[in-house]
Amino acid sequence: MSNVIKTAAFLAFAYIAVPLAVGSNTYVIGLIVAALTIGGIAVAWALLGNLGGMVSFGHAAFFGVGAYVSALLTLRGGWPVFPAMLVAGLGAAVASVATMPALRLRGPYFALAILAYAEIFRILATELKPVTGGAAGLLSIPRLPNVLGLDFGSKLGGYFVILTIVVAAMAAYHLIRRSAYGLALKAMHDSEDATRVVGVNSTVLKAWMLVVSAFITGMVGAFNAHYINFLEPDYAFAGQWTTLAIVSAIFGGYRTVTGPLVGAVVVYLVDQLAFKPILPQGHQIVLGVLLGAMILFSPGGLMPMLMAKLSRKEGPAHAA
Amino acid sequence: MAKLLEIESLRAGYGSINVLWDLSLSIEEGKLTCILGPNGGGKTTLLRAIMGLVKTGAGRVLYQGTDRTNAPTWDMVSDGIAMIPEGRMVFRDMTVADNLMMGAFPRKCRANAPKNLQMVYDMFPRLYERRDQLAGALSGGEAQMLAMGRGLMEEPRLILVDEPSLGLAPVVVDEVMAILDRLRAEGRTIVLVEQNTNKALKIADHVYLVRGGKVVLSEAADSVDLGRLHDLYFARDALNEH
Repeated sequence: MSNVIKTAAFLAFAYIAVPLAVGSNTYVIGLIVAALTIGGIAVAWALLGNLGGMVSFGHAAFFGVGAYVSALLTLRGGWPVFPAMLVAGLGAAVASVATMPALRLRGPYFALAILAYAEIFRILATELKPVTGGAAGLLSIPRLPNVLGLDFGSKLGGYFVILTIVVAAMAAYHLIRRSAYGLALKAMHDSEDATRVVGVNSTVLKAWMLVVSAFITGMVGAFNAHYINFLEPDYAFAGQWTTLAIVSAIFGGYRTVTGPLVGAVVVYLVDQLAFKPILPQGHQIVLGVLLGAMILFSPGGLMPMLMAKLSRKEGPAHAA
Repeated sequence: MAKLLEIESLRAGYGSINVLWDLSLSIEEGKLTCILGPNGGGKTTLLRAIMGLVKTGAGRVLYQGTDRTNAPTWDMVSDGIAMIPEGRMVFRDMTVADNLMMGAFPRKCRANAPKNLQMVYDMFPRLYERRDQLAGALSGGEAQMLAMGRGLMEEPRLILVDEPSLGLAPVVVDEVMAILDRLRAEGRTIVLVEQNTNKALKIADHVYLVRGGKVVLSEAADSVDLGRLHDLYFARDALNEH
Protein backbone atom coordinates (compact mmCIF):
# COMPACT_ATOMS: atom_id res chain seq x y z
CA MET A 1 0.00 0.00 0.00
CA SER A 2 1.31 3.39 -0.86
CA ASN A 3 1.38 6.11 1.76
CA VAL A 4 -1.36 8.08 0.00
CA ILE A 5 -3.77 5.13 0.20
CA LYS A 6 -2.81 4.49 3.83
CA THR A 7 -3.43 8.11 4.74
CA ALA A 8 -6.75 8.17 2.90
CA ALA A 9 -7.81 4.94 4.61
CA PHE A 10 -6.88 6.35 8.02
CA LEU A 11 -8.78 9.59 7.37
CA ALA A 12 -11.87 7.72 6.12
CA PHE A 13 -11.75 5.47 9.16
CA ALA A 14 -11.39 8.37 11.59
CA TYR A 15 -13.80 10.83 9.99
CA ILE A 16 -16.47 8.44 8.69
CA ALA A 17 -16.27 4.91 10.10
CA VAL A 18 -15.73 5.83 13.77
CA PRO A 19 -18.61 8.37 13.96
CA LEU A 20 -20.95 5.98 12.12
CA ALA A 21 -20.06 3.07 14.38
CA VAL A 22 -20.04 4.71 17.81
CA GLY A 23 -21.23 8.26 17.20
CA SER A 24 -24.52 7.72 19.03
CA ASN A 25 -22.84 6.26 22.12
CA THR A 26 -21.83 9.35 24.08
CA TYR A 27 -19.90 7.31 26.65
CA VAL A 28 -17.63 5.68 24.06
CA ILE A 29 -17.18 8.86 22.03
CA GLY A 30 -16.34 10.70 25.26
CA LEU A 31 -13.63 8.15 25.98
CA ILE A 32 -12.24 8.49 22.47
CA VAL A 33 -12.17 12.30 22.75
CA ALA A 34 -10.23 12.02 26.01
CA ALA A 35 -7.84 9.57 24.33
CA LEU A 36 -7.34 11.93 21.39
CA THR A 37 -6.66 14.80 23.79
CA ILE A 38 -3.80 12.77 25.26
CA GLY A 39 -2.88 11.75 21.70
CA GLY A 40 -2.56 15.38 20.63
CA ILE A 41 -0.12 16.13 23.46
CA ALA A 42 1.70 12.87 22.70
CA VAL A 43 2.23 13.86 19.04
CA ALA A 44 3.49 17.29 20.12
CA TRP A 45 5.72 15.70 22.75
CA ALA A 46 7.12 13.21 20.22
CA LEU A 47 7.84 16.06 17.80
CA LEU A 48 10.17 17.55 20.39
CA GLY A 49 11.36 14.22 21.82
CA ASN A 50 12.04 12.51 18.51
CA LEU A 51 12.88 15.19 15.97
CA GLY A 52 14.22 17.67 18.50
CA GLY A 53 15.89 14.99 20.61
CA MET A 54 14.68 16.63 23.83
CA VAL A 55 12.71 14.76 26.47
CA SER A 56 10.29 17.18 28.11
CA PHE A 57 8.59 16.70 31.48
CA GLY A 58 6.95 20.08 31.16
CA HIS A 59 4.25 19.81 28.52
CA ALA A 60 1.56 20.28 31.17
CA ALA A 61 2.70 23.92 31.25
CA PHE A 62 1.89 24.48 27.58
CA PHE A 63 -1.37 22.56 27.96
CA GLY A 64 -2.38 24.69 30.92
CA VAL A 65 -1.33 28.00 29.40
CA GLY A 66 -3.28 27.20 26.23
CA ALA A 67 -6.33 26.26 28.28
CA TYR A 68 -6.23 29.44 30.35
CA VAL A 69 -5.55 31.78 27.42
CA SER A 70 -8.49 30.46 25.44
CA ALA A 71 -10.81 30.34 28.45
CA LEU A 72 -10.00 33.91 29.47
CA LEU A 73 -10.24 35.31 25.94
CA THR A 74 -13.72 33.83 25.51
CA LEU A 75 -14.96 34.44 29.08
CA ARG A 76 -13.58 37.92 29.73
CA GLY A 77 -12.76 39.15 26.23
CA GLY A 78 -15.88 37.85 24.51
CA TRP A 79 -13.81 36.24 21.75
CA PRO A 80 -15.34 33.55 19.54
CA VAL A 81 -14.05 30.11 20.52
CA PHE A 82 -12.09 28.98 17.45
CA PRO A 83 -9.96 32.14 17.02
CA ALA A 84 -9.35 32.06 20.78
CA MET A 85 -8.04 28.50 20.48
CA LEU A 86 -5.54 29.59 17.81
CA VAL A 87 -4.34 32.46 19.98
CA ALA A 88 -4.11 30.00 22.87
CA GLY A 89 -1.63 28.01 20.77
CA LEU A 90 0.36 31.20 20.25
CA GLY A 91 0.17 31.90 23.99
CA ALA A 92 1.64 28.50 24.75
CA ALA A 93 4.33 29.18 22.14
CA VAL A 94 5.18 32.45 23.90
CA ALA A 95 5.27 30.57 27.21
CA SER A 96 7.75 28.16 25.63
CA VAL A 97 10.03 31.09 24.82
CA ALA A 98 10.19 31.74 28.57
CA THR A 99 11.39 28.15 29.08
CA MET A 100 14.15 28.47 26.48
CA PRO A 101 17.01 28.93 28.92
CA ALA A 102 16.44 25.22 29.61
CA LEU A 103 17.58 24.51 26.04
CA ARG A 104 21.12 25.15 27.17
CA LEU A 105 20.85 21.93 29.16
CA ARG A 106 20.81 18.45 27.71
CA GLY A 107 19.18 15.12 28.38
CA PRO A 108 17.86 14.64 31.92
CA TYR A 109 18.91 18.16 32.92
CA PHE A 110 16.66 19.67 30.27
CA ALA A 111 13.83 17.35 31.32
CA LEU A 112 14.07 18.43 34.96
CA ALA A 113 14.51 22.13 34.22
CA ILE A 114 11.39 22.20 32.07
CA LEU A 115 9.51 20.30 34.79
CA ALA A 116 10.34 23.16 37.14
CA TYR A 117 9.15 25.69 34.55
CA ALA A 118 5.81 23.89 34.35
CA GLU A 119 5.42 24.36 38.09
CA ILE A 120 6.02 28.11 37.76
CA PHE A 121 3.06 28.45 35.38
CA ARG A 122 0.79 26.49 37.72
CA ILE A 123 1.72 28.80 40.59
CA LEU A 124 1.10 31.85 38.38
CA ALA A 125 -2.38 30.55 37.53
CA THR A 126 -3.10 29.97 41.22
CA GLU A 127 -1.82 33.31 42.46
CA LEU A 128 -3.04 35.68 39.75
CA LYS A 129 -6.51 35.59 41.31
CA PRO A 130 -7.95 38.73 39.66
CA VAL A 131 -7.24 37.28 36.20
CA THR A 132 -7.49 33.53 36.57
CA GLY A 133 -9.85 33.21 39.50
CA GLY A 134 -7.11 31.50 41.50
CA ALA A 135 -7.57 28.05 42.95
CA ALA A 136 -11.35 28.31 42.60
CA GLY A 137 -10.85 28.11 38.87
CA LEU A 138 -13.00 29.27 35.97
CA LEU A 139 -16.57 28.12 35.56
CA SER A 140 -18.89 28.02 32.54
CA ILE A 141 -16.21 28.43 29.92
CA PRO A 142 -18.03 28.79 26.57
CA ARG A 143 -18.58 25.50 24.80
CA LEU A 144 -17.49 24.86 21.23
CA PRO A 145 -19.90 26.71 18.90
CA ASN A 146 -22.46 25.82 16.28
CA VAL A 147 -21.00 26.45 12.84
CA LEU A 148 -23.10 26.05 9.68
CA GLY A 149 -25.53 23.79 11.46
CA LEU A 150 -22.82 21.55 12.89
CA ASP A 151 -22.91 21.46 16.68
CA PHE A 152 -19.26 21.24 17.72
CA GLY A 153 -20.40 21.56 21.32
CA SER A 154 -21.76 18.02 21.29
CA LYS A 155 -19.58 15.02 22.13
CA LEU A 156 -19.42 14.00 18.49
CA GLY A 157 -18.70 17.60 17.41
CA GLY A 158 -15.86 17.73 19.92
CA TYR A 159 -14.54 14.51 18.43
CA PHE A 160 -14.23 16.13 15.00
CA VAL A 161 -12.46 19.17 16.43
CA ILE A 162 -9.83 17.28 18.44
CA LEU A 163 -9.40 14.78 15.59
CA THR A 164 -8.65 17.64 13.22
CA ILE A 165 -6.13 19.15 15.63
CA VAL A 166 -4.37 15.79 15.98
CA VAL A 167 -4.38 15.13 12.22
CA ALA A 168 -2.96 18.62 11.57
CA ALA A 169 -0.26 17.99 14.18
CA MET A 170 0.68 14.69 12.54
CA ALA A 171 0.79 16.37 9.12
CA ALA A 172 3.08 19.08 10.53
CA TYR A 173 5.29 16.39 12.07
CA HIS A 174 5.50 14.56 8.75
CA LEU A 175 6.32 17.70 6.75
CA ILE A 176 9.00 18.86 9.18
CA ARG A 177 10.56 15.41 9.28
CA ARG A 178 11.04 15.16 5.54
CA SER A 179 12.34 18.72 5.11
CA ALA A 180 15.99 19.79 5.27
CA TYR A 181 15.33 20.77 8.88
CA GLY A 182 14.11 17.27 9.70
CA LEU A 183 17.33 15.87 8.29
CA ALA A 184 19.36 18.36 10.29
CA LEU A 185 17.49 17.48 13.48
CA LYS A 186 18.17 13.81 12.85
CA ALA A 187 21.84 14.60 12.30
CA MET A 188 21.90 16.48 15.59
CA HIS A 189 21.15 13.24 17.46
CA ASP A 190 24.38 11.89 16.02
CA SER A 191 26.60 14.84 16.82
CA GLU A 192 25.64 18.42 17.50
CA ASP A 193 29.19 19.59 16.84
CA ALA A 194 29.19 17.99 13.39
CA THR A 195 25.87 19.61 12.49
CA ARG A 196 27.35 22.99 13.34
CA VAL A 197 30.30 22.21 11.09
CA VAL A 198 27.94 21.73 8.15
CA GLY A 199 26.26 25.05 8.84
CA VAL A 200 23.24 24.24 10.99
CA ASN A 201 22.24 26.77 13.63
CA SER A 202 21.36 24.01 16.07
CA THR A 203 20.26 26.34 18.86
CA VAL A 204 17.65 28.08 16.72
CA LEU A 205 16.47 24.77 15.28
CA LYS A 206 15.89 23.28 18.74
CA ALA A 207 14.12 26.43 19.86
CA TRP A 208 11.75 26.22 16.88
CA MET A 209 10.86 22.63 17.66
CA LEU A 210 10.01 23.67 21.21
CA VAL A 211 7.81 26.50 19.91
CA VAL A 212 5.96 24.24 17.45
CA SER A 213 5.47 21.55 20.08
CA ALA A 214 4.18 24.09 22.60
CA PHE A 215 1.82 25.61 20.03
CA ILE A 216 0.17 22.25 19.33
CA THR A 217 -0.03 21.39 23.02
CA GLY A 218 -1.61 24.78 23.74
CA MET A 219 -4.27 24.19 21.09
CA VAL A 220 -5.07 20.82 22.65
CA GLY A 221 -5.31 22.44 26.07
CA ALA A 222 -7.64 25.10 24.71
CA PHE A 223 -9.84 22.46 23.11
CA ASN A 224 -10.06 20.61 26.40
CA ALA A 225 -11.07 23.77 28.26
CA HIS A 226 -13.98 24.42 25.91
CA TYR A 227 -14.90 20.76 25.86
CA ILE A 228 -15.26 20.34 29.63
CA ASN A 229 -16.16 24.03 30.31
CA PHE A 230 -14.20 24.18 33.57
CA LEU A 231 -10.63 24.93 34.63
CA GLU A 232 -8.65 25.08 37.82
CA PRO A 233 -4.85 25.30 38.15
CA ASP A 234 -4.32 21.85 39.64
CA TYR A 235 -6.30 20.32 36.80
CA ALA A 236 -5.01 22.43 33.90
CA PHE A 237 -1.36 22.03 34.92
CA ALA A 238 -1.69 18.45 36.24
CA GLY A 239 1.34 16.23 35.77
CA GLN A 240 -0.86 13.60 34.12
CA TRP A 241 -1.04 15.69 30.92
CA THR A 242 2.70 15.16 30.63
CA THR A 243 3.02 11.64 31.98
CA LEU A 244 0.11 10.09 30.07
CA ALA A 245 1.38 11.69 26.87
CA ILE A 246 4.91 10.39 27.46
CA VAL A 247 3.67 6.89 28.25
CA SER A 248 1.48 6.96 25.12
CA ALA A 249 4.22 8.26 22.86
CA ILE A 250 6.84 5.79 24.05
CA PHE A 251 4.38 2.90 24.19
CA GLY A 252 3.14 3.61 20.65
CA GLY A 253 6.56 4.36 19.22
CA TYR A 254 7.68 7.96 19.50
CA ARG A 255 9.93 7.78 16.46
CA THR A 256 6.93 7.24 14.17
CA VAL A 257 4.23 9.70 13.15
CA THR A 258 1.33 7.39 14.03
CA GLY A 259 2.85 5.84 17.16
CA PRO A 260 1.91 8.57 19.66
CA LEU A 261 -1.72 8.62 18.51
CA VAL A 262 -2.11 4.84 18.45
CA GLY A 263 -0.32 4.66 21.80
CA ALA A 264 -2.68 7.21 23.34
CA VAL A 265 -5.80 5.44 22.13
CA VAL A 266 -4.58 2.02 23.28
CA VAL A 267 -3.14 3.20 26.60
CA TYR A 268 -6.11 5.38 27.52
CA LEU A 269 -8.83 2.92 26.50
CA VAL A 270 -7.11 -0.05 28.14
CA ASP A 271 -6.61 2.01 31.27
CA GLN A 272 -10.22 3.21 31.44
CA LEU A 273 -11.99 0.06 30.28
CA ALA A 274 -9.82 -2.71 31.70
CA PHE A 275 -7.83 -1.44 34.69
CA LYS A 276 -10.10 1.20 36.19
CA PRO A 277 -12.99 -1.21 36.93
CA ILE A 278 -10.58 -3.64 38.62
CA LEU A 279 -8.45 -1.07 40.44
CA PRO A 280 -10.52 2.09 41.05
CA GLN A 281 -7.62 3.61 42.97
CA GLY A 282 -4.16 3.75 41.47
CA HIS A 283 -5.06 1.95 38.26
CA GLN A 284 -2.51 4.05 36.38
CA ILE A 285 0.28 2.12 38.07
CA VAL A 286 -0.50 -0.67 35.60
CA LEU A 287 0.50 1.69 32.79
CA GLY A 288 4.00 1.71 34.21
CA VAL A 289 4.08 -2.08 34.02
CA LEU A 290 2.72 -1.94 30.48
CA LEU A 291 5.36 0.57 29.43
CA GLY A 292 8.13 -1.46 31.05
CA ALA A 293 6.99 -4.59 29.22
CA MET A 294 6.83 -2.75 25.91
CA ILE A 295 10.35 -1.39 26.31
CA LEU A 296 11.59 -4.92 27.10
CA PHE A 297 9.89 -6.62 24.15
CA SER A 298 9.92 -3.85 21.55
CA PRO A 299 12.00 -0.79 22.45
CA GLY A 300 10.73 0.93 19.30
CA GLY A 301 7.15 0.75 20.59
CA LEU A 302 3.85 -0.71 19.39
CA MET A 303 3.82 0.65 15.83
CA PRO A 304 7.25 -0.72 14.78
CA MET A 305 6.27 -4.05 16.36
CA LEU A 306 2.99 -4.21 14.39
CA MET A 307 4.78 -3.14 11.21
CA ALA A 308 7.33 -5.91 11.64
CA LYS A 309 4.54 -8.46 12.16
CA LEU A 310 2.63 -7.22 9.10
CA SER A 311 5.60 -7.23 6.79
CA ARG A 312 6.47 -10.77 7.90
CA LYS A 313 2.96 -11.88 6.90
CA GLU A 314 3.21 -10.18 3.54
CA GLY A 315 6.41 -12.09 2.86
CA PRO A 316 10.06 -11.11 2.67
CA ALA A 317 9.58 -9.29 -0.64
CA HIS A 318 7.80 -6.52 1.26
CA ALA A 319 10.16 -6.56 4.21
CA ALA A 320 11.65 -3.22 3.18
CA MET B 1 47.36 36.90 -5.46
CA ALA B 2 44.51 37.95 -3.24
CA LYS B 3 44.49 36.90 0.38
CA LEU B 4 41.29 34.99 1.06
CA LEU B 5 41.90 34.43 4.74
CA GLU B 6 44.18 36.27 7.11
CA ILE B 7 44.91 35.39 10.69
CA GLU B 8 46.38 38.21 12.77
CA SER B 9 48.03 37.52 16.16
CA LEU B 10 45.36 35.03 17.12
CA ARG B 11 45.08 33.72 20.66
CA ALA B 12 42.74 30.86 21.42
CA GLY B 13 42.47 27.89 23.73
CA TYR B 14 40.27 25.86 25.98
CA GLY B 15 39.33 27.45 29.29
CA SER B 16 42.46 28.44 31.14
CA ILE B 17 44.71 26.52 28.76
CA ASN B 18 45.85 28.72 25.91
CA VAL B 19 46.95 26.93 22.71
CA LEU B 20 47.52 29.58 20.05
CA TRP B 21 50.04 32.27 20.96
CA ASP B 22 49.67 35.30 18.68
CA LEU B 23 49.59 33.16 15.59
CA SER B 24 49.56 34.93 12.24
CA LEU B 25 49.32 33.52 8.74
CA SER B 26 47.55 34.14 5.47
CA ILE B 27 45.89 31.96 2.89
CA GLU B 28 46.06 32.85 -0.78
CA GLU B 29 43.14 32.31 -3.10
CA GLY B 30 43.43 29.32 -5.42
CA LYS B 31 46.37 27.78 -3.56
CA LEU B 32 46.81 24.74 -1.38
CA THR B 33 48.31 25.87 1.88
CA CYS B 34 49.64 23.17 4.14
CA ILE B 35 49.88 23.56 7.89
CA LEU B 36 52.32 21.06 9.35
CA GLY B 37 53.33 20.49 12.89
CA PRO B 38 53.58 18.08 15.79
CA ASN B 39 50.69 16.96 18.00
CA GLY B 40 49.37 19.58 20.35
CA GLY B 41 50.90 22.36 18.30
CA GLY B 42 47.59 24.09 17.72
CA LYS B 43 46.74 23.09 14.14
CA THR B 44 43.26 21.80 14.88
CA THR B 45 42.62 24.62 17.36
CA LEU B 46 43.48 27.09 14.61
CA LEU B 47 40.90 25.57 12.25
CA ARG B 48 38.31 25.43 15.02
CA ALA B 49 38.98 29.07 15.89
CA ILE B 50 38.52 30.10 12.24
CA MET B 51 35.19 28.28 12.19
CA GLY B 52 34.02 29.85 15.44
CA LEU B 53 34.00 26.52 17.25
CA VAL B 54 36.64 27.77 19.69
CA LYS B 55 36.39 31.27 21.09
CA THR B 56 39.40 33.47 20.53
CA GLY B 57 40.98 35.62 23.22
CA ALA B 58 42.82 38.11 21.06
CA GLY B 59 43.69 38.75 17.43
CA ARG B 60 41.56 38.77 14.30
CA VAL B 61 40.23 36.41 11.65
CA LEU B 62 39.82 38.23 8.33
CA TYR B 63 37.88 36.41 5.64
CA GLN B 64 37.41 38.08 2.25
CA GLY B 65 38.76 41.23 3.82
CA THR B 66 36.19 41.51 6.59
CA ASP B 67 36.65 40.82 10.29
CA ARG B 68 34.92 37.53 11.13
CA THR B 69 36.52 36.88 14.51
CA ASN B 70 34.23 34.67 16.63
CA ALA B 71 31.48 34.66 13.99
CA PRO B 72 29.01 31.80 14.54
CA THR B 73 30.01 28.58 12.82
CA TRP B 74 26.86 28.42 10.68
CA ASP B 75 27.56 31.91 9.28
CA MET B 76 31.10 30.92 8.31
CA VAL B 77 29.69 27.87 6.51
CA SER B 78 27.06 29.81 4.60
CA ASP B 79 29.75 32.34 3.66
CA GLY B 80 31.68 29.58 1.92
CA ILE B 81 34.07 27.93 4.38
CA ALA B 82 33.76 24.15 4.50
CA MET B 83 35.53 22.29 7.26
CA ILE B 84 36.31 18.63 6.80
CA PRO B 85 36.92 17.85 10.43
CA GLU B 86 39.43 15.63 12.14
CA GLY B 87 37.95 12.16 12.67
CA ARG B 88 35.55 12.81 9.70
CA MET B 89 32.51 13.49 11.95
CA VAL B 90 30.11 11.75 9.57
CA PHE B 91 26.57 11.08 10.81
CA ARG B 92 26.86 7.38 11.53
CA ASP B 93 23.14 6.66 11.86
CA MET B 94 22.27 8.28 8.55
CA THR B 95 22.71 7.01 5.00
CA VAL B 96 25.58 8.15 2.82
CA ALA B 97 23.13 10.08 0.64
CA ASP B 98 21.57 11.84 3.65
CA ASN B 99 25.03 12.70 4.97
CA LEU B 100 25.83 14.37 1.66
CA MET B 101 22.50 16.22 1.66
CA MET B 102 23.39 17.58 5.11
CA GLY B 103 26.29 19.35 3.40
CA ALA B 104 23.74 21.22 1.29
CA PHE B 105 21.92 22.50 4.39
CA PRO B 106 22.89 26.19 3.97
CA ARG B 107 19.96 27.79 2.19
CA LYS B 108 21.98 28.99 -0.81
CA CYS B 109 23.23 25.44 -1.49
CA ARG B 110 19.83 23.74 -1.56
CA ALA B 111 18.84 24.68 -5.12
CA ASN B 112 22.06 23.25 -6.58
CA ALA B 113 22.08 20.19 -4.32
CA PRO B 114 21.04 17.61 -6.98
CA LYS B 115 23.70 18.88 -9.38
CA ASN B 116 26.38 18.93 -6.68
CA LEU B 117 25.37 15.47 -5.49
CA GLN B 118 26.01 14.15 -9.00
CA MET B 119 29.39 15.93 -9.04
CA VAL B 120 30.33 14.29 -5.72
CA TYR B 121 29.22 10.85 -6.92
CA ASP B 122 31.29 11.32 -10.08
CA MET B 123 34.32 12.18 -7.98
CA PHE B 124 33.72 9.34 -5.47
CA PRO B 125 32.09 6.41 -7.29
CA ARG B 126 32.37 4.35 -4.10
CA LEU B 127 29.99 6.72 -2.33
CA TYR B 128 27.48 6.26 -5.13
CA GLU B 129 27.66 2.47 -4.73
CA ARG B 130 27.07 2.84 -1.00
CA ARG B 131 24.61 5.73 -1.10
CA ASP B 132 21.86 3.82 0.76
CA GLN B 133 24.12 2.34 3.44
CA LEU B 134 24.54 3.83 6.88
CA ALA B 135 27.65 5.97 7.17
CA GLY B 136 28.62 4.02 10.30
CA ALA B 137 29.24 0.97 8.11
CA LEU B 138 31.86 2.69 5.94
CA SER B 139 35.58 1.99 6.13
CA GLY B 140 37.90 4.75 7.32
CA GLY B 141 38.85 5.74 3.79
CA GLU B 142 35.25 5.79 2.61
CA ALA B 143 34.22 7.85 5.64
CA GLN B 144 36.98 10.34 4.78
CA MET B 145 35.66 10.56 1.22
CA LEU B 146 32.15 11.05 2.58
CA ALA B 147 33.35 13.89 4.79
CA MET B 148 35.09 15.47 1.78
CA GLY B 149 32.01 14.98 -0.40
CA ARG B 150 29.85 16.55 2.29
CA GLY B 151 32.20 19.53 2.37
CA LEU B 152 31.98 19.92 -1.42
CA MET B 153 28.18 19.96 -1.19
CA GLU B 154 28.59 23.25 0.69
CA GLU B 155 29.90 24.91 -2.51
CA PRO B 156 32.90 26.21 -0.59
CA ARG B 157 35.25 29.03 -1.52
CA LEU B 158 37.66 27.77 1.10
CA ILE B 159 38.10 24.17 2.23
CA LEU B 160 39.73 23.41 5.58
CA VAL B 161 40.85 19.78 5.75
CA ASP B 162 41.98 18.49 9.13
CA GLU B 163 44.32 15.49 9.05
CA PRO B 164 42.58 13.49 6.33
CA SER B 165 45.28 10.79 6.47
CA LEU B 166 44.66 9.99 10.13
CA GLY B 167 44.25 6.26 10.67
CA LEU B 168 44.21 5.37 6.98
CA ALA B 169 46.24 2.74 5.13
CA PRO B 170 49.09 4.25 3.04
CA VAL B 171 47.41 3.34 -0.25
CA VAL B 172 44.22 5.11 0.88
CA VAL B 173 46.23 8.13 1.99
CA ASP B 174 47.61 8.35 -1.56
CA GLU B 175 44.05 8.28 -2.88
CA VAL B 176 42.97 11.08 -0.54
CA MET B 177 46.00 13.19 -1.48
CA ALA B 178 45.27 12.63 -5.17
CA ILE B 179 41.77 13.97 -4.66
CA LEU B 180 43.06 17.03 -2.82
CA ASP B 181 45.54 17.58 -5.66
CA ARG B 182 42.68 17.37 -8.14
CA LEU B 183 40.63 19.91 -6.16
CA ARG B 184 43.65 22.20 -6.11
CA ALA B 185 44.01 21.83 -9.88
CA GLU B 186 40.35 22.88 -10.21
CA GLY B 187 41.43 26.16 -8.63
CA ARG B 188 39.89 25.69 -5.20
CA THR B 189 41.46 27.24 -2.13
CA ILE B 190 42.46 24.57 0.35
CA VAL B 191 44.03 24.59 3.79
CA LEU B 192 45.43 21.18 4.60
CA VAL B 193 46.44 20.32 8.14
CA GLU B 194 48.72 17.29 8.19
CA GLN B 195 51.34 15.36 10.06
CA ASN B 196 52.32 13.36 7.00
CA THR B 197 55.01 15.83 5.90
CA ASN B 198 56.27 14.15 2.73
CA LYS B 199 52.90 13.49 1.16
CA ALA B 200 51.50 16.90 2.08
CA LEU B 201 54.54 18.73 0.67
CA LYS B 202 54.09 17.08 -2.72
CA ILE B 203 50.73 18.74 -3.34
CA ALA B 204 51.18 22.00 -1.38
CA ASP B 205 51.90 25.47 -2.75
CA HIS B 206 52.84 27.02 0.57
CA VAL B 207 53.84 25.52 3.89
CA TYR B 208 53.46 26.74 7.44
CA LEU B 209 54.98 24.89 10.36
CA VAL B 210 53.06 25.45 13.58
CA ARG B 211 54.65 24.48 16.86
CA GLY B 212 53.75 25.53 20.37
CA GLY B 213 50.92 27.70 19.07
CA LYS B 214 53.19 29.77 16.82
CA VAL B 215 54.27 29.79 13.20
CA VAL B 216 57.94 28.74 13.16
CA LEU B 217 58.33 28.42 9.39
CA SER B 218 56.56 29.92 6.37
CA GLU B 219 57.89 29.01 2.95
CA ALA B 220 56.90 28.13 -0.59
CA ALA B 221 56.51 24.37 -0.77
CA ASP B 222 59.05 23.89 -3.58
CA SER B 223 61.81 25.69 -1.68
CA VAL B 224 61.40 23.79 1.59
CA ASP B 225 64.52 22.02 2.81
CA LEU B 226 63.23 18.78 4.33
CA GLY B 227 66.14 18.47 6.74
CA ARG B 228 65.56 21.93 8.17
CA LEU B 229 61.81 21.34 8.27
CA HIS B 230 62.29 18.18 10.28
CA ASP B 231 64.69 19.94 12.64
CA LEU B 232 62.04 22.55 13.31
CA TYR B 233 59.29 19.97 13.47
CA PHE B 234 61.04 18.02 16.21
CA ALA B 235 62.32 21.17 17.91
CA ARG B 236 65.98 20.27 17.38
CA ASP B 237 66.68 23.99 16.97
CA ALA B 238 65.67 24.46 20.57
CA LEU B 239 68.09 21.71 21.62
CA ASN B 240 70.97 23.35 19.73
CA GLU B 241 70.40 26.66 21.49
CA HIS B 242 71.28 25.11 24.83
